[in-house]
Amino acid sequence: QEFKVDFGVSTSDRDAPIEVSANALSVDQATGKAIFDGDVEITQGNMRLTAALVNVVYDEAGNKIAQLLASGGVNIESGKDSAEADTAEYDVESGVIRMAGNVALLQQGTRITAGKMDVNLNDNTAAFHGRVRTVLQPGNN
Amino acid sequence: APAEQVVLLADSVFLRGNSILTATGNVEAISGETVLTASKIVYNSVTDQITITGPITVTDGGVVEIFADFAELDSALQNGLLTSARLVLDQQVELQADSIQRIDGTVSELNSVQVTSCNTCAEGESPLWYIRAKKVTHYSEDKELLLEEAQLRILDVPVFYLPRMRLPDPTQDRATGFLIPSIKQRSRIGLAAKIPYFIAFGDHRDLTLTPYLSRSMTTLEARYRQAFRTGEITLNGAVTDDNFSGFNSRGYLFAEGEFALKRDYTLSFDAKFTSDQAYLLDYDYGAFDRLNSELALTRASRDENTRFAFNHFRSLRTTEDNETIPTLVLSAQTQNRIQPAFGGEVLWELEFHSHTRESQITTDANADGIIDGRDVHRLNAEVGWRDSWWTQGGFNFGVESHLAFDVVNTAQDATITTTNYTEVTPSVAANMRYPLQRMTASGAQQVIEPVAQLAWSGGATRDGATSDAIANDESSRTEFDEGNLLSLSRFASDDRRERGVSLAYGLKMSHFGETWNAGLSFGHIIREADQDSFSVSSGLTGRASDLLVAGQMTHDNGLSITGRMLLDEQISLTKAEASGGWHNDRLGVNASYVWLGQDAEENRPDILAEWNLDSSYRMTRHWTGLANWRFDVADNRTTEAGVGLEYRNECVKAQLAVSRRFTSSTSVQPVTDLSFTVELLGFSAKTRDKSYSRSCNDAAY
Amino acid sequence: CGFTPAYGPDSAANRVLSQIAVDEIKTSDGFHLVRQLEHRLGRSAAPKFGLSVALTTREEGVAVTSDNQTTRVEIFGDATFALRQLSDNAVLLSGKTRSFTGYSTTGVTTSELASERDARERLMVILADQIATQLIARAGELPE
Repeated sequence: QEFKVDFGVSTSDRDAPIEVSANALSVDQATGKAIFDGDVEITQGNMRLTAALVNVVYDEAGNKIAQLLASGGVNIESGKDSAEADTAEYDVESGVIRMAGNVALLQQGTRITAGKMDVNLNDNTAAFHGRVRTVLQPGNN
Repeated sequence: APAEQVVLLADSVFLRGNSILTATGNVEAISGETVLTASKIVYNSVTDQITITGPITVTDGGVVEIFADFAELDSALQNGLLTSARLVLDQQVELQADSIQRIDGTVSELNSVQVTSCNTCAEGESPLWYIRAKKVTHYSEDKELLLEEAQLRILDVPVFYLPRMRLPDPTQDRATGFLIPSIKQRSRIGLAAKIPYFIAFGDHRDLTLTPYLSRSMTTLEARYRQAFRTGEITLNGAVTDDNFSGFNSRGYLFAEGEFALKRDYTLSFDAKFTSDQAYLLDYDYGAFDRLNSELALTRASRDENTRFAFNHFRSLRTTEDNETIPTLVLSAQTQNRIQPAFGGEVLWELEFHSHTRESQITTDANADGIIDGRDVHRLNAEVGWRDSWWTQGGFNFGVESHLAFDVVNTAQDATITTTNYTEVTPSVAANMRYPLQRMTASGAQQVIEPVAQLAWSGGATRDGATSDAIANDESSRTEFDEGNLLSLSRFASDDRRERGVSLAYGLKMSHFGETWNAGLSFGHIIREADQDSFSVSSGLTGRASDLLVAGQMTHDNGLSITGRMLLDEQISLTKAEASGGWHNDRLGVNASYVWLGQDAEENRPDILAEWNLDSSYRMTRHWTGLANWRFDVADNRTTEAGVGLEYRNECVKAQLAVSRRFTSSTSVQPVTDLSFTVELLGFSAKTRDKSYSRSCNDAAY
Repeated sequence: CGFTPAYGPDSAANRVLSQIAVDEIKTSDGFHLVRQLEHRLGRSAAPKFGLSVALTTREEGVAVTSDNQTTRVEIFGDATFALRQLSDNAVLLSGKTRSFTGYSTTGVTTSELASERDARERLMVILADQIATQLIARAGELPE
């Protein structure tokens, strides 16, 4: 059993296009942020992020997404892993996802719940903090 | 074991993107009943191995606790190695080892181990006693410890060495093996050792064999117990070969048992045999001077009390010949209560009794005052009705009426002419009770209760004066106390009855307070005619009985005294008995006093008075003093005396006791007993009294 | 001097003690103890209270002569009783009482047998009377 948290975003996928769909979209000219509101769904490669509200931050050039700030109950799924939390920040540039609030990671029989989870997609490592509870189903790998 | 789910709790968890999961900070791992705490755990899911860094504690449902610095276990926490570890069993026995190999979560193999149940305070201080062993295996399912190359050290001095040794773990309550040996020194037996060995045959049967060896005798004691679905039996016995008794082999056997039968009947038996008169006393197997073997079928409930019994007696007294005392007794008795529609209570009774003596001699050839060969058989039937009422004024008035029909046959007694007689005894009585009550200023309740009973019984008094005398094998030792003040016939048995008119009256005063209760009662009987067969010390002779005075006092501080005495017309003592006790957490004293006046009829040529004291005093947390003393006041001599000292802490219990019995007769010599036992605590499921444990902070060692 | 009839017209004993059912004890001692308790407290047709008694006895040899003959045996009886309300089994009142009776063992064997049985019966009468008296004295502690 691998403890790899890759959310299906392998290095090659990281440049895959990010599609976003939502009920409503509004753009804040001043900050350059776009706010997707209501059943927001973001996919990149075979990773799918759903949330109630997502702020999308573009890079200075304004044509690539730099950050996704999701809140109101976030769920990230990909292949055999799934994670949920109250909020999630996906920094596309650095390949780091920070999830906070009732974090729960389900991975092939292992279930980890914690206060905070930081996932580094580059080296597929994850760090959990707060009273972390891990339920292992040994021997089924 | 099936792949048990493992739950890990920690302050933080890191996944390294491979098969390693690292948990740090107050880590807790729970798998089935096993709970493990540590500072850091690394779980490798490929090798299914958990590496744990200490301080580690592992507990599995409370009995086994392991403390270690480092460990590698499988993920189910069942198999693996813990290093520089301590295994604690049921918070009593501690095993320190370089390493512990856990196998399947039930077996722990410890290497270079120190086993003890003694507390140690300073680091590195060696315990009072400990067992050093090369290897110890603990089987938690069999509740057993197997020690290899074990050496017992007391005060760090090696005492004995055993290549292999098995010990029960603290939760073991039944396992085959040696019990605690003891050393005894007893007069004529000399210094002797007892080494009991317990053999369990499954859960329902066991045998304990105890070699009891000294220079002047060899004895094998045995106890066999068996439990059945509806009953149990216990056999205790011993066989002895000694060089001082003159018998080439001696022994005893006590067998008792009880079985629940259908329709609420209980069958019980209690058989006693011994090879010679002095054996039981010489070897301290019981102070019986008469062996009463009994087989009984009984049934008792609210309204019925039925008993069929066969008794066989064998006297060990030098003053008695088994030929001329009643040795075979057959009795069958049933008492039944009925609540008739018209009120009150009807009691009917049927009794058959027969006792026989082996001797056929019809006279008192051995001049012990009793016909040598007399046999008595009797049949008694009785029916009675009683009722009582409360008047408005709080006055209780009761009436009683009885009709008894006795058929008695006395055989082989030249002095008795009417060998068969029947007797009808009607009796009627009226009784009165008037309890008065008040509350004292301090809130205590006091009750004063006068009682009185006027009774008449018919039938012929057979005292040899008016009509032929009757044998008296059963009611020759009648007693008078508050228990039979108001009974219609105070004879111990229905082989004779009180007759004529009698008035019994008394007063009972009681005090029930916050911290102490007390009671004082008086009783007296005046009757129309003197009754036959009452002895002087029964207090019931003559037309006016002795005055009965009885008192009792119990106090919250643990003191309680009960006493009773009979005063004759000259207000001098006929009989007095008292028993008291004082029990609190440090002191336990039981004392009794008896004073019995001269009474030729009870073959007591002179006054017999005796003090008896039995006490234990817990001087300090660990030291307890024991003392008992029986003093013959009339002869101003000590009958028995003993002192003992007991040291007890959490891991050892040692007792030294010396006692001497000064009495002697043709068959019994004075005996001095000295016994010394040391017990290493913690190796069997005895109840642990934590109040004896040493604690590091106080100096009360 | 303040004494009033314990079973007077409006007394607690009168109201309460006639409604007691004594629990059965299936031994010979129990037969005699329960019988005496029912004689003193009455056998109620519609009981409101249940009286249970836990009884233990032990025998001890006394008056040992110089030639080691135990000439008397004392039977000690300890009774712990509890009065409960039958509706909810709540214990309303409990107490302890103790006494002893003696019998001589210098008579022939059949005299010792009969004396022991008589001593046990007398002990049960004494214990029952003490329990009844304590209930009378403390009847005021019971609810209506």
